[in-house]
Amino acid sequence: MSIPGLMHVIEAQRYSMAIARSPWMFPALETVHVFALTLVVGSVGLIDLRLLGLSFRDRSVRELCASVLPWTWGAFAVAGSCGALLFSSKATLYYTNLPFRLKMLGLLLAALNMLVFHAITARNLHRWDQGVPPLAARLAGGISLTLWIAIVAAGRWIGFTT
Amino acid sequence: MMQQLSDWLTNTPVSQALAGTDWFVPAVQTVHILAIAAVLALLATLHARLLGLTTRAPSPLRLAATCLPGFWGALALLLLSGTLLVLAEPGRELMNPAFRVKMPLVALLAVLTLFLQRGLTRRHWHDSPGGRRLAGVLAAASALLCVAIVAAGRFIAYA
Repeated sequence: MSIPGLMHVIEAQRYSMAIARSPWMFPALETVHVFALTLVVGSVGLIDLRLLGLSFRDRSVRELCASVLPWTWGAFAVAGSCGALLFSSKATLYYTNLPFRLKMLGLLLAALNMLVFHAITARNLHRWDQGVPPLAARLAGGISLTLWIAIVAAGRWIGFTT
Repeated sequence: MMQQLSDWLTNTPVSQALAGTDWFVPAVQTVHILAIAAVLALLATLHARLLGLTTRAPSPLRLAATCLPGFWGALALLLLSGTLLVLAEPGRELMNPAFRVKMPLVALLAVLTLFLQRGLTRRHWHDSPGGRRLAGVLAAASALLCVAIVAAGRFIAYA
């Protein structure tokens, strides 16, 4: 099946049509999506600023990650599920929307940045856990912060172009 | 009175210039959402500690000292970006029931946070069981307020 065909199939699902037709389901899902995504961006931002050496300098990176990241992942699961439901209600429209595609690209790049950080940069975390992170870690923090700002901007632009 | 204020604002040159600039509202809304992210993350860090949901984190007093200055800064940015959004679309905001619910809730959140900040830094609430209980109640109330404020804010687009 072609991708546009798949979008039609998604839109034709009973739950997608229910969201598209209901006067309150889309705004309600959007509200939960916004609340969860601000928690994702805010909590990731706390870690990014620590990696950049700009805040929470008195806390170890490991301890900060351990107390913040479970909340980030929980909020991400909520934001992602609500986002997927919002997408389903107008799949064809969003699939061809440029800000939507840029947002997905931003999320992909943020995921890659995170994987590189955890797999490579954080291997010698014990050496800089308490102090100022090395250049590679500061770079990861800066890239992550930039990407998340771009993701929020692209997300906001979807509402002005659909 | 609000209608007259809204009409007057709509006719000011500033409002007309902002309303005529396509990218202005989405760009300021983006800044607004990022500032909300900062407010929620900083408050959640403190509230989770006060409610006993995170125990490894630093003491409430130290968390208040690291999180609350950032909270006030982000709140100032929210008031600034929010004012710009009102200037760009006075009718959409000032005459909106969701906006009118949201603003008193924001004021209440600011008052509760100020009260909590003073309690933690000046009265050392974290040192007594009664103080800890009061801090926990305030933390839970502000968390609920945050949910209500974000929901009211999103419903400005639909109300």
